[in-house]
Amino acid sequence: MNTILLQAISNPDVNLQAILPETIVAVTGIIVMLYDVFAPKQKNVTTVISLIGLAIAAYFMYSMWGGGPTTSWNGMIANDPLRISFSLVLLFVAAVTILTSTVWSERETVPVGEYHALLLFATFGSMFMASGNDFVIIFLGLETLSIATYVMAGLRKSDLKSNESAMKYFILGSFASAFLLYGMALIYGATGTTNVALIAERIASPTFPGLLLMGGAMLVIGFGFKVATVPFHVWTPDVYEGAPSPVTGFMAAGPKAAAFASFIRVFVIGFPLIGGATAAGYLHESWVTALAVMAMLTMTVGNISAIVQNNVKRMLAYSSISHAGYAMVGFVGAGVAKTPEVRDAAIAAVAFYLLTYAVTNLGAFSIISLVGQKNDRRTEFEDYNGIGFKSPVIAFSLSLFMLSLLGLPMTAGFIGKVLVFRPALEAGSVMLTTMVVVAVVNTAISAYYYLRLIVVMFFRERTTDWSEPKMPVGVAAVLLITIIGVFYFGLFSGSWIEKFVTPSAPTAVQAAK
Amino acid sequence: MDNFNIMDYAPIGVMFLVAIGFAVSQIMVTQLIGPRKRTATKLMPYECGKDPVGSARDRFSIKFYTVAVIFLLFDIEVLFMVPFAVAFKKLLQMQQVTSISYGTIAFVEILVFIATLVVGYIYVWKKGTFDWGLQARAEARAEARAMVAAKKAELAELRKAA
Repeated sequence: MNTILLQAISNPDVNLQAILPETIVAVTGIIVMLYDVFAPKQKNVTTVISLIGLAIAAYFMYSMWGGGPTTSWNGMIANDPLRISFSLVLLFVAAVTILTSTVWSERETVPVGEYHALLLFATFGSMFMASGNDFVIIFLGLETLSIATYVMAGLRKSDLKSNESAMKYFILGSFASAFLLYGMALIYGATGTTNVALIAERIASPTFPGLLLMGGAMLVIGFGFKVATVPFHVWTPDVYEGAPSPVTGFMAAGPKAAAFASFIRVFVIGFPLIGGATAAGYLHESWVTALAVMAMLTMTVGNISAIVQNNVKRMLAYSSISHAGYAMVGFVGAGVAKTPEVRDAAIAAVAFYLLTYAVTNLGAFSIISLVGQKNDRRTEFEDYNGIGFKSPVIAFSLSLFMLSLLGLPMTAGFIGKVLVFRPALEAGSVMLTTMVVVAVVNTAISAYYYLRLIVVMFFRERTTDWSEPKMPVGVAAVLLITIIGVFYFGLFSGSWIEKFVTPSAPTAVQAAK
Repeated sequence: MDNFNIMDYAPIGVMFLVAIGFAVSQIMVTQLIGPRKRTATKLMPYECGKDPVGSARDRFSIKFYTVAVIFLLFDIEVLFMVPFAVAFKKLLQMQQVTSISYGTIAFVEILVFIATLVVGYIYVWKKGTFDWGLQARAEARAEARAMVAAKKAELAELRKAA
């Protein structure tokens, strides 16, 4: 009876536990929003509520390691190391950003509760970008993340720079979203499915091979915009400079990691190399080549443009572009991997790289927020002149973050770089080896502007007066977490890398151990 | 499409006829029996009072935008609830045939959806979006207080004179 109907609707694969962390973040966001509207004078209550919510979500996310089905909700939600490791990075970024923004919400009249709610909604969207195994989920996550971030960029309503930042981000961001959506539609036209795992099976014999390539190209543009790769990077410096500093730190770490998560899932898992299939082989070859060229361009343009900047926030914006390039080296390495083990290790390396970048970058931006004072007045290089021995805590920790961004041994940045360069080098192809060489040369170039900030702080005379900013508890906590993080991931990173590779579901590999 | 029957679309056709008939009849009735006062304002292209000549770069109150956003909120609510209502009966039937609880899941999902919208509604309400005359009301209140004070002073003077 009614068999036709039953075939049309498959079993609703409800698995609330699989999306529990995301749900917790969303509910926390709603609670924060409602609390703020009933008690608009509060400043710290929503901070505490958000931190508790993020901690609970992180606990449940962490406990997913080594359990549960690999997919749920009819294959829409993945449950693999890629999802869990990136989601943990995203939750960490959100928590640290909330702590950092205590400095800024205290001295300025920004709507704190709304900011926390938006941050939580952005995190919710970005977690779905990491867990989405279906184009629809990925796009919904991306939009939730983007809309919240557009608003956060313009949170200083009366500041023209902040308005400019929000406006540019909004217009260019919606443009990029349109490209992404169009690419998804074309891929759907070529394969007849939006599920990433099914696409991977069907690209061997697509209905229209041409659509596959065009769709892939559009997806590169859409995701390339979100992770800020050259030539889709032009928005980055203006948006990062105008947005309030804690928000800039969040944008450089959170949305970038989320976009990388779905970028990797769609391309590495969705468009693999299939032996004997011409269309799939051509698609794989073209995206690997395109991304390798983009990675080289991204690193070079990012680093060279960063050299000539006089504003620290712009400098870090270009630095974030070049770091997206380094992460793409590992991404391309994952794309050319011959075995699933090598591929998963490369993906874990990218996740770990973004974790180290998040730790370092959030630390740097907490100091920039602190030094920036009200409305980020002091963000030029000159404003850092000679503060080295007058405010040693600020200067030494900022120096440490710069060295970690540069990738000095013993810091987190070094391990991250080694890990992302290795899979590309081991692939043994000429193009990928060139890419790694370009990356190493770029690291040397980047030393100029990272060290410049240190030189400015310690060896320049200060002409204007300097009053050390009062450090709130939140920022002190951020500094403690990030400094410990930089050393911890630099020296004892082994356990985390291993964790990032561990499959969530018991597989044959685990059974053999 | 093998069992296509044009008569299935008859209700839509009737709906069209009713809509056109209603619109035409309303305009005709007002034209026929409505009183006419030809003043300068009434004969302007836009009867709402908007000046048809002048700069197009007018400023609108931000309230219009917030109202538009709230309209969108409820518009989408209906947009989602109509397909839900259409499918719900069928899902309940399927729940009885199979042992899978299609109907319950759909019902809970629509409740979650409405709850999210209600949260948005509470939020905009508490933010004062529906309060259009905050400033005007404050001014009126101040004016009323001034009037009361003046009246009291007048009364006191009268009493003193008495």
